Amino acid sequence: MRFALFLFTISSLLAQDAGATRADWPHYGGTQFSWRYSSLDQINTTNVKALTPAWMFQTGDYAENLQATPIVVAGVMYVITARARVFALDAATGRLIWHYEYPEPPHSVPGFVGNRGVAVGDGKVFFGTKDDYMVALDQKSGRLLWRVNIDDARQCGCNITAAPLVVKDKVIVGGTGGDGAHRGYITAFHTTNGRLAWRWYVIPGPGEKGNETWKGDSWKFGGGAPWLTGSYDPALNLVYWGTGNAASDFFDGDRVAAGADKSRDINLYTASVVALDADTGKLRWHYQEVPDDLWDYDSAYEVLLIDREIRGRLRQTLVHMNKSGLTSVLDRATGEYLGAFSVPEARTWITGVTEDGKLVGRNEPQLGKTITVCPSAAGAKSWNSMAYSPRSGFLYVPVNEICNDITPNNRAPDEGRGYMNGEFPMKLAPGRTTYSHVDAWDPVTGKRAWSMPYKYLLLASMLSTAGDLVFTGNPEGEFFALDAKSGNKLWSYQTGAGNRGSAVSYAVNGRQYIATPTGWHVSVVGALAQSLFPDQEWRLGSTLVIFALPEGSR
Amino acid sequence: MKKLAVTAFLLAVSSAAQNLTEVLQQGEQVFAKSCATGYCHGVKGGAGGAPRLVGRHFDQAYINNVVTRGVPDTGMPSFATRLSRPDLVAVIAYVATLNGITNPTVGPGGAAATVSSRPKLTGEAARGARLFTDAVRSFGRCSTCHEVDDLGISVAAPIAKVPSSVAELKALATPAVKTATMDGESMPVLVLSEGKQSIVFYDLTSVPPVQRSAEPGSVAFADGSNWRHSSAVKSYDDSELTAILTYLRAAAKP
Repeated sequence: MRFALFLFTISSLLAQDAGATRADWPHYGGTQFSWRYSSLDQINTTNVKALTPAWMFQTGDYAENLQATPIVVAGVMYVITARARVFALDAATGRLIWHYEYPEPPHSVPGFVGNRGVAVGDGKVFFGTKDDYMVALDQKSGRLLWRVNIDDARQCGCNITAAPLVVKDKVIVGGTGGDGAHRGYITAFHTTNGRLAWRWYVIPGPGEKGNETWKGDSWKFGGGAPWLTGSYDPALNLVYWGTGNAASDFFDGDRVAAGADKSRDINLYTASVVALDADTGKLRWHYQEVPDDLWDYDSAYEVLLIDREIRGRLRQTLVHMNKSGLTSVLDRATGEYLGAFSVPEARTWITGVTEDGKLVGRNEPQLGKTITVCPSAAGAKSWNSMAYSPRSGFLYVPVNEICNDITPNNRAPDEGRGYMNGEFPMKLAPGRTTYSHVDAWDPVTGKRAWSMPYKYLLLASMLSTAGDLVFTGNPEGEFFALDAKSGNKLWSYQTGAGNRGSAVSYAVNGRQYIATPTGWHVSVVGALAQSLFPDQEWRLGSTLVIFALPEGSR
Repeated sequence: MKKLAVTAFLLAVSSAAQNLTEVLQQGEQVFAKSCATGYCHGVKGGAGGAPRLVGRHFDQAYINNVVTRGVPDTGMPSFATRLSRPDLVAVIAYVATLNGITNPTVGPGGAAATVSSRPKLTGEAARGARLFTDAVRSFGRCSTCHEVDDLGISVAAPIAKVPSSVAELKALATPAVKTATMDGESMPVLVLSEGKQSIVFYDLTSVPPVQRSAEPGSVAFADGSNWRHSSAVKSYDDSELTAILTYLRAAAKP
């Protein structure tokens, strides 16, 4: 008994090690377990009040905001702007080391302009572009090494806004376009020379298992775009990715056979979490969170790999939130369903979930009718990531309370053009005075430990640290720290422009830093948030602000 | 005066449209389908994910420019080739009415005068066009390496002469493809530039081609290669290639 307990402690610590960052912030989600958790604790609940700016960096690219997660490797920070200007900076001082500017495409491209980050690996800096290329730069000099076209953006209506994921000798990336007539996919390239390694289509083709879950030819334009960044477990050699909504978004008459059983897999593998073999891209298992999605509920969000004891047994789990706020806990080796919980307070799309994860009381849009659905297509959470702390055992989640009035239509698809098939004006959830909250959720019990309300929306990622702090920012420009155990606000700083980026923590020469991108933007959900609060003017910008404790105070 | 303008419009633009009211109705429908959708301009231009278009005091020339050219660095694409000419005229006129212009110009020299129109393909040529860019073939389609009619990636130089037959298409001489040797590996390449700072070429080892940069002296080129156009077109059968040639002949016409 004592021996078993000892083993548990060791394995628990190993898992903790794998998920936490140390001096570097090497990947989009911190580590490839995507916790957005730093093991650094120099800045903590007792001294955070003294946190002060150490340096700032203005990118000069104000076309859109700074959404990127900065990557920090060996004292150098790599950051990319909306228009693919890449900077390598001394992470202690902000001194510019090199700068690369991706050329403007010769023709206009569809989709919005934004970039959520670079990936660093194999001595290279990788990023995707709005005209749908994967690009590799030399990590030391910023020199262009190779670039390869992923798809014709003008035809597919798709491009890359996500940070790539480097796994061993491959760089893997998912694309946008799932609200149009498009068939989503994940593509892997060899890091050395840019040659294609594999491509996995979210929607199986004729003759492949799962294709039978599509009516007629609808698989060709069925959406499912996996438009964010996946995770990787080296022990299982599995890459995990969330896939986008089915298209058309609000009308299923073209893609689902009449009378289909909606308690099980429909329109595979949209609105799902999938596990792919990292070497071949072959599907190992899948879990569909929303069979026959009719609400634009992508499952494209981050995938957290967390080892926790569940019902007396240590499980290698995967925690994943669907855009509806329904959050699944799965066994990441097998895909076995272990539990789920729903985070938004305003929820009308379902009445609940059965013990084995089946949706109950689906409130479906119907032709000729308008129904109010909460949460909205903008999500109970947007693309901005949650964080996890192994010290508290909590997930830290930015939740928005918005609803939409969905009126579907049945227009035919046109390749690469919008294929949402519905109007869905947004409105604030009724009967409230605050419209978002930072929550702490225990993924094992599915219980909310605390909730910190906020008047407007929260559209920046969360960062958690071993100093028992949780950092994020808001549209008004305030970047702030909460007590990870209680949710109490301990510190805040007015950065001067709206926050929609992803903060990170790292250390150089023993000094811990907290870095956050700042700058509001007016595309997609940003403009939508603005339209819900027309009297607010959240400021644009594109500036990195880096905080530390004053020199000598440590 | 008003009657005259409407008559001129009728002659110039569309025999289907009977009067301004109908043009605006058509514009409203085009707007609902192409502009109000998704995360874009919202119902009747009242804002969604993209900016509000109602009551912005836009003049019609500005609307015309934005619709036909797009806005760089934003999600607003050019609609010049995405919409038919009558649809463009109608939607520009409709957006003008959202901005207080009650009687928008729709005739020659007005809204859509700068919009070019492309002849609509039919039959075998239309089938060839679809095959040329067929997404189901992934990187096995022609447009992986050829840009025609503003679609595709211009890896190869523009098609100067359409092959007369499928046999000629497969046996195409490709003198521009050379053999590069870099890091002890030989590969078929298309050289883009040989500058003092860097040498840029397409690596044709596999599809999609990779544009690579090398430092001078690190790569050597030799004429000739083992690359064959017949391999590049192997996802198509002869009937499909015949349709593609029909399309290319139609597209090549001025």
